[in-house]
Amino acid sequence: MTGRDRILAVLAGQQPDHIPCMPITMTFAADISAVKYLQYVRDHRIMAEAQIRTAEAFGLDYVSTISDPTREAADLGASIQWYDDRPPAIIEGQALFADKAALGRMEPVDHVRGNRMEDRIRGIELLRERAGSELFVEGWVEGPCAEGADLRGINRLMMDFSDDPEFVHDLFDFTLQIAIGFSTEQIQAGADIIGVGDAAASLVGPRIYKEFVWPWEKRLVDSIHKDGGRVRLHICGNTRRILDGMGALGCEMVDIDYPVPMELARSQTGQLQTLTGNMDPVRELRNGSPEAIARSLEAQQLQAGAQWIVAAGCEVVRDTPHENLRAMVEFAQTHAPAA
Amino acid sequence: MTKSVELYDAILNGDAKKAHAATQAAIEAGVEPLTLISESMVPAMDEVGRLFEEEEYFVPELLLAGRAMKSSMELLRPLMTASGEKLSAKVVIGTVKGDQHDIGKNIVASMLEGSGFDVIDLGVDVSAEAFVAAIKEQNPQFVCLSALLTVTMPAMKTTIDALSNAGLRPRVKVLIGGAPVTGQYAKEIGADGYSENASGAVVLVRSLLAEA
Repeated sequence: MTGRDRILAVLAGQQPDHIPCMPITMTFAADISAVKYLQYVRDHRIMAEAQIRTAEAFGLDYVSTISDPTREAADLGASIQWYDDRPPAIIEGQALFADKAALGRMEPVDHVRGNRMEDRIRGIELLRERAGSELFVEGWVEGPCAEGADLRGINRLMMDFSDDPEFVHDLFDFTLQIAIGFSTEQIQAGADIIGVGDAAASLVGPRIYKEFVWPWEKRLVDSIHKDGGRVRLHICGNTRRILDGMGALGCEMVDIDYPVPMELARSQTGQLQTLTGNMDPVRELRNGSPEAIARSLEAQQLQAGAQWIVAAGCEVVRDTPHENLRAMVEFAQTHAPAA
Repeated sequence: MTKSVELYDAILNGDAKKAHAATQAAIEAGVEPLTLISESMVPAMDEVGRLFEEEEYFVPELLLAGRAMKSSMELLRPLMTASGEKLSAKVVIGTVKGDQHDIGKNIVASMLEGSGFDVIDLGVDVSAEAFVAAIKEQNPQFVCLSALLTVTMPAMKTTIDALSNAGLRPRVKVLIGGAPVTGQYAKEIGADGYSENASGAVVLVRSLLAEA
């Protein structure tokens, strides 16, 4: 069974040969390939090579084009701080929509002409061509709330929910259109699944999530499904109070980060929801021992049940000992999904 | 009665305009700024912190409460400067070099300011040299370092080392925080304390002050 078949089996509710393993690797993968992260995020060929090398070296079941949250924002004209060997970051003080009126002046974006978005699309094509028969290929878009935070400035957005609800809906309508266009292109390029990263949603409570965030996430999920794609929802952080909403989106896969007990995630999202996670990437996966990692995964499996994919709650940090990631993969490869 | 219920409620509800008006009314009624801070502002921010811990409040509510508190402080600061009144301790805070994330740092800064401390916020991407300069200039009792990324955490150690090299380390307590930061890491790099959230940071500063 290939990694791709293994993941597809779990998503179909069938029994794979063993549990799939899908930890997010970004800077870790760049290090495995001995490239600077700036090269990784700017050249899809370097990213694809690093992803394939990492998947092969550790036995991961997938490859991904997730790299940083600034691809869409950069192509829209936002100010980005570039670093030689770490992910680029939005400069919030110069946020594109710091002035709310700037939203109304925006022109529609051509997703394949934008430099950084096109690079991801080309990355998906290359990964599909080089590894797609064996490994599950993941695309990535920023969710409506996360992209809204990138463009408006996260501090401003958090207060906009109260100060100017109408603007928030206009903003999320704009970011939704970006995400829909970008995800459509990625599905056409061959992505098996689209990761929707909406981390900013973990900062709001259930009221704001249901009123402002969920409806726009739902439209994105429905659009991806309409395009024939699958969705991996990734809201890292403490999502305890919005789990029911996350489970109601209809995503094929929902990532759970370490602050959320897997048991709670299972009870809130239902038995049929495939959950991914949720090892603490720093305290357990990086700082722990292989033995402790195996014990932690045993406990996670008991709580998560059958519809579960092994992963860390968020990105595998770059200085994670290789034997620790190997211990995570070994657990997956030596365990069948719970009955 | 010196407590302004209106100010307390305005901060708790994140209403900056009402907080400003309530502060103005209290000043006109003759309430001393430090009394207003200790009787209304600090209890309100304590309650905000409690509600956050209980997962009744979330980041938007914290930021709104912080903004309401600042609108009150805008009126109180000039009065305190004029009368020579001082807050209980001074804190310099910033996100370390290479890190652009500031929402966690902003919440900690607000909670500390609303808890009656004089907070100097240096912003994001703050170099070790800038921390050193600010500490020389401001002479704080505490310096708080924030990092959201594992790749920027080493800048915390760089900053602490720079404080030591400048001979400033004995003068300030260094506290660190941020999602990937741990108590173990704080010990490894020679920080004086670590907190996993804003309420904990307030408790930590208060407890270290009590020990001093």
